[in-house]
Amino acid sequence: MLRTALRNVLAAKARLVMTVLAVCLGVAFVCGTLVFADTSVAAHRAAASKNFADIAVTVTPRTPLTGAATRQNSSALDDALVHRLAAVPGAAAVRPSVDGSAVLNAADGTPLRVGTAWANLAAAYVPGKDGKDGRYPLLRGHAPRNADELAVDSGTAAAGGFGIGDTITLATDGPVLTKRLVGIVTTQDTRVTAGGTLTLFDQATAQALFAAPGRYTSVDLSAAPGTSQAELSERVTAVLPPDRAEAVTGAAQATQQAGYVDTLTRGYQKLPMVFAAVSLFIGSFLIANTFTVLVAGRTREIALLRAIGASRRQVVRSVLWEAVLLGLVASAAGLLLGLGIAAVLPDLLSTTQGTLPHGPLVIGPRPLVAALAVGVGVTVLAAWLPSRNAAKVAPIEALRSADQPPTAVRSRVRGAVGLALLVLGAGLLLSLTGAKDASVENLQTAMFGCGVLVVAMIVLAPVLATPVIRLSGRLTGRFGMTGRLAHRNALRNPRRSAATASALMISTALVAGLAVIGNSTGQALDRQAASGLGADYVLSTRTTTTGIDPAAVQRVADVPGVRTASAVTDSVLFTGGGVRTISGVTPDTVDAVMRLDLVDGSLKDLGPGRIAVSRTVAREQGVSASGRLNARMGSGQDFQQYTVVAVYQDNPTAHDALGDRTEVQRTGFDPGSIQRILVRTDGGATAKTIEDRLRTAVGNSPLVQVQTREELVHQAAGALGELLELMYGLLALGTVISLLGITNTLAMSVAERTREIGVLRAIGMDRAGIRRMIRLESVTVAAFGTLLGLAGGLFGAWTVGALANGAMTRYALAPPWGTLLLLCIGSLATGVIAAAVPARRAAALSPLAAVART
Amino acid sequence: MTAEPFSPYLPHPATGVAAATTGLSKVYGSGDTRVVALDEVDIAFREGEFTSIMGPSGCGKSTLMHCAAGLDRASSGSVRIGTTELGTLNDRQLTELRRDRIGFVFQAFNLLPTLTALENITLPLAIAGRRPDRQWLDHVISLVGLGRRLGHRPAELSGGQQQRVAVARALVSRPAIVFADEPTGNLDSRAGTEILGFLRECVRELGQTVVMVTHDPVAADFADRVVFLSDGRLVDEMTRPTADRVLERMKEFDTRTRTG
Repeated sequence: MLRTALRNVLAAKARLVMTVLAVCLGVAFVCGTLVFADTSVAAHRAAASKNFADIAVTVTPRTPLTGAATRQNSSALDDALVHRLAAVPGAAAVRPSVDGSAVLNAADGTPLRVGTAWANLAAAYVPGKDGKDGRYPLLRGHAPRNADELAVDSGTAAAGGFGIGDTITLATDGPVLTKRLVGIVTTQDTRVTAGGTLTLFDQATAQALFAAPGRYTSVDLSAAPGTSQAELSERVTAVLPPDRAEAVTGAAQATQQAGYVDTLTRGYQKLPMVFAAVSLFIGSFLIANTFTVLVAGRTREIALLRAIGASRRQVVRSVLWEAVLLGLVASAAGLLLGLGIAAVLPDLLSTTQGTLPHGPLVIGPRPLVAALAVGVGVTVLAAWLPSRNAAKVAPIEALRSADQPPTAVRSRVRGAVGLALLVLGAGLLLSLTGAKDASVENLQTAMFGCGVLVVAMIVLAPVLATPVIRLSGRLTGRFGMTGRLAHRNALRNPRRSAATASALMISTALVAGLAVIGNSTGQALDRQAASGLGADYVLSTRTTTTGIDPAAVQRVADVPGVRTASAVTDSVLFTGGGVRTISGVTPDTVDAVMRLDLVDGSLKDLGPGRIAVSRTVAREQGVSASGRLNARMGSGQDFQQYTVVAVYQDNPTAHDALGDRTEVQRTGFDPGSIQRILVRTDGGATAKTIEDRLRTAVGNSPLVQVQTREELVHQAAGALGELLELMYGLLALGTVISLLGITNTLAMSVAERTREIGVLRAIGMDRAGIRRMIRLESVTVAAFGTLLGLAGGLFGAWTVGALANGAMTRYALAPPWGTLLLLCIGSLATGVIAAAVPARRAAALSPLAAVART
Repeated sequence: MTAEPFSPYLPHPATGVAAATTGLSKVYGSGDTRVVALDEVDIAFREGEFTSIMGPSGCGKSTLMHCAAGLDRASSGSVRIGTTELGTLNDRQLTELRRDRIGFVFQAFNLLPTLTALENITLPLAIAGRRPDRQWLDHVISLVGLGRRLGHRPAELSGGQQQRVAVARALVSRPAIVFADEPTGNLDSRAGTEILGFLRECVRELGQTVVMVTHDPVAADFADRVVFLSDGRLVDEMTRPTADRVLERMKEFDTRTRTG
């Protein structure tokens, strides 16, 4: 039977091409993602081991703490220790480092490559015996020699638009510094080359900034030939003060750093994997459909095989073998395509913020096995039902005319099962409307409900096809006879039409659902951010460990046009339930800059020992206004009883709790610092001049960002970008696969209807008419899929959106009508495009096809 | 049938020629595989006449009909429907000609399975975007006697009924000429005779020109004239044929094939 299968595949190759393409796409995504993952991991490892190639052992101070604490504790790493380390047997060279971070202002005044705090590196230029630092080879200029000079790496210089001799403003963790660029170096540190910045100071300056005079943040040792990293590490540990410093081998560090960047890249794999799953899922319908039609078209042949003695099992096996062959071809093609995807993926995923390392493609056994398993597995699974149909063909059918029109689907059982599933899915989703929050349990219910709903839609589609397409026939009927014929043809085999429309249905449902939820959430976030914020400008630090110079508050208040400037210190509040963010505010100006919606109590009583909490915290802790809350603030040592003076509706500007600024500042990790300045202008005016003056007031520090109300609101919704990316990706993918599916089905049905089309040509329908008929049939099927998908997607979004109701007070269903309209137009266009080739083929048929004797 | 005279539908004076071929040849393939299906055929089909084309299998009778009906292009020679020379028409014009001036009846009925009997009958008009002439439509329907079954799909009709629908479809646009390709080939003898009766009726009562390809001598009995084709050539002609005479003539072909 293998030979029969092979012959069949070859005979039907044109029809199978489309099917192969669908599977091929899915396999390509799977394989591409895996190869990309392997490749990027290998590239990261290569880069990381290059970073640590010369380092056998690194000595670091033990238990480093943030801020001021580090400076006292790092005393173990001083020049005396460096000398002792150099004397350790087997140590070839010793290089002390002073590392920290620094944010630069680019030539145009905007902070350079900020966003990933750990990627803005700063270090000391440590000249060796030859007066050069081997770690940072100079490209141009000279090394920084005093506190007024600095050097950067070539990537940073290019991104910032710096040239030798330029004056650069920068900040490490405090006030703004101004230095002159004297040198440009190269570096192989992957954190920098992957989109970070590197700033080099002379040793004394770096020590003053990041350690203490004469102290280092780490010491690297290289091993003499014949000494292993482990041996050296042991000897080094022996000379270290045990509780104040420790030794780590270079290999361990390389692994650690590689792991660090791996985590980052792992995030990139999610999207292609979702695409792979979706394309394979939708693709399986395409396969099942193709095989159903192939088996139906081969009824006589199968009956003949049965008549001459083939068993049912042999027939089934023949069909399944065909599927295996098809799956193999598709997997092979997908594998190649996947390698292509893996090759271009780094470029696609690289943003201006960071570039992914390039390296030769690493093709491990994992992607190969996965591609084969997925491709063949899905194909065979999808062909299983049609193969059962093939087995049901009775030998007697060899003698019957194959031209009989297919009988109507016996849809009662299907309808009952589908309806039951629909009720179950809808019931599950509807049960969420009463949900208070997005707990794991509720999310699981939502996922399960959506899954059941999708299956129900797939099962019910053939049953729904007849009434829905009949309804759409009213529209196509306007196109006269061609429209009527198209509509009847779409109805001829509702099961096939439904299966064809399934791909479009699923992708439309997904995209519509995501679009609605995304839009609703975005608007809710906007409203939430906008409603809680009374300020027109917010000045804030980029990282939580740094602060704004407290003296700047008065300077900001003095800026012409500023009515109120209110400083906020952000800290943490430990309650019995967990860690909360507390905002230390000035009670008399807070009303002007925050719009607090008080549930209970009054903010006037805010003061030391008296705090306000958000409704969520109040509910969680079971307190109300004038109640008491046992909590610990910031770096304070002991829990104490705080009096709750007010409860307010959750507000992103106010965070979880509000306290008196003087009190919050006292217990802060960086005592006396402030993190935000909320500014109210006269008449709510925002202008470039005010913004510039505000920037000047905070000393043009790159650590401080100045945002208008709109920018802040926009930023709050920015997290939805990934969702949108996913949505448009799915849309594109769904469209492509639906296109393949509809084209496939139409091509097959044109082939089956050769005689009919010949008759139409013979009795006077011109080629344009035939084309229009096929096109309208395609659009009818596409419209059916779209309609069903839209309904499912909107329903899903409506019910799942209920989860957000608890989490977001201002959530309301807001369908993005424009996007949805675009989606509908796109789907209909898919129908038109999919019909192009089959319509042309049909139109090319000669009227003589009507009299062809079979 | 009613005996009423169909005054508006009286035939034109039966002198004109509805369709004619001159030097019509059709050649398939080339070189070694070259097959001459029609060899310089000259034939005219007069208005209001029922012509039957006969001949042994492979004699080219179907090809002649396909070329004359504008379904297929001639290799050389000319085909005229009325005064229109088919060779000069492009595909769209040829399609329109088939739609407006030619009717077809096929051996395999070739009704569209998705349309009802009535929709099938009016299909040529619907394609042309014309409203059916109610009176004429009723007349045609009553002629083929389908009154009660108009709402049925082809699958719900017997072979004879399907072919009656096909005949009605061929007549509905009042074509200049109706071509019938083995119209009784898929029917039992009773249903076949019925269809032949209808075609005969069309010619007599409506003055319709009908050309029929058949190999059934009984079918030829209904025609005004029988032309015999052999090896792509017109070899004989018989007016006012009877089944016996036609059978006699056909036997000659058999003998000739056997002896030759």
